[in-house]
Amino acid sequence: MEDIKAYIESGILELYVLGDVTPDEKLQVEAMALKHPAIKAELDEIERSMELYAGKNAVEPAEHLRGRILNSLLTNFADDSTFDEVIEEPKNNVVAFTAPKATNFYKYAFAACLALLLASVVALVSMYNKLQDSNSTIAALQTDKQHFANTVSLKEGELEVLQDASFKFLKLQATTKAPTGSQITVAWSPARKKVWIDMKSLKMPENDKEHQYQLWALVAGKPVDLGVFDANADTADMKPMKSIASADAFAVTLEPKGGSPTPTMGEMMVIGKF
Amino acid sequence: MSKKRKISLSEEELVLALRNHEKIAIEALYDMYSASLFGVISRIVVDTATAEDLLQETFVKIWHSFSGYSTEKGRLFTWMVNIARNLAIDKLRSKDFKNQNKNQELENNVTFIDEQRNTVYKPELLGIKELVETLKPEQKLILDLVYFKGYTHVEAADELGIPLGTIKTRLRMAIQQLRKHFN
Repeated sequence: MEDIKAYIESGILELYVLGDVTPDEKLQVEAMALKHPAIKAELDEIERSMELYAGKNAVEPAEHLRGRILNSLLTNFADDSTFDEVIEEPKNNVVAFTAPKATNFYKYAFAACLALLLASVVALVSMYNKLQDSNSTIAALQTDKQHFANTVSLKEGELEVLQDASFKFLKLQATTKAPTGSQITVAWSPARKKVWIDMKSLKMPENDKEHQYQLWALVAGKPVDLGVFDANADTADMKPMKSIASADAFAVTLEPKGGSPTPTMGEMMVIGKF
Repeated sequence: MSKKRKISLSEEELVLALRNHEKIAIEALYDMYSASLFGVISRIVVDTATAEDLLQETFVKIWHSFSGYSTEKGRLFTWMVNIARNLAIDKLRSKDFKNQNKNQELENNVTFIDEQRNTVYKPELLGIKELVETLKPEQKLILDLVYFKGYTHVEAADELGIPLGTIKTRLRMAIQQLRKHFN
């Protein structure tokens, strides 16, 4: 009994209850308690006291915990019964962040830049189209202008022929080869050495594509080439031909396209002599 | 909020019901012991949310390892309070809890201090006052260090600069006083 009393008084039982013993000591205390009812009784007393002491120090946990904890334990159960969980008002812990202003500024600036870029591209395309229109208009006007300049210079040439007294007009009359009534009027100025054909008064059968009319001057019995021309309905101008200083007569032959070095006498259409 | 009626069983009935995995046993267990266990846990871990998590962990562990308890080893509460205390101390010494505490100090100082003050003024703790007359201050100090703060008696001796033998004696005397008081 002395041993047991000493064991009890050593304080090991208190440490055991307080959970402050090594695993070996723990086993030893449990073995002693089994063997000696007195130790068991002492332990029980200590435990009871500490339990009551803990009860005095108890802190009631929040009510919502009961449901939460019981439900977490009940997940082991096969049945689906649950405990009422006391629902606590969720605290509003959402912190509102003020949107950073710089970010918005750059966002809008970027959007504005994009819009501006788009507008610029549209404007550029439309301007380019207008420019193209203008360019083609200018080209057309230049062609027109050129055309008018040509016409004017041609008319001046015609006017010159008509006003110049040195020009002689000669009607070349049809040969047997040409249809009756065929004629060409040739204007010639020996002083200026210039020869014109009046296409307006030209009455000749139309030449085909392989052939052209060729004008010849007869100088001392020899034919001299004065150039080729086409007899088309739409030519109504004075056509300048090659120069010649003196001529006895003028004749037109039908020659292969581009003209011949010597006239094909068999194809002489019209002829006129001074 | 209407408080649910609390279920109370004798310890023998409770142990038997727990062994049979009866649903009512869990409720009874919680109603009978949650406050005492929470008292111990919230002494060790001041932060309420952490203490609540620990209380849940404690009950889960009690429930899962109940087969490891036998009446021969002692009272049910002694077994349970050891589980609660060990979990709380492990948490207190764990790395992430230490970090969490640092963070609290830096970011949420006011709340942290408020929580500490709240713990001191919890009306549930007022019952201790009657014990002050029962226990001598040096007895209560050592008892609380070991029981509530998770010190071993060796650590308590170091902390207080008192010989180990004296610590043991004072612990024993304190508990003797409690026994007298409660009887």
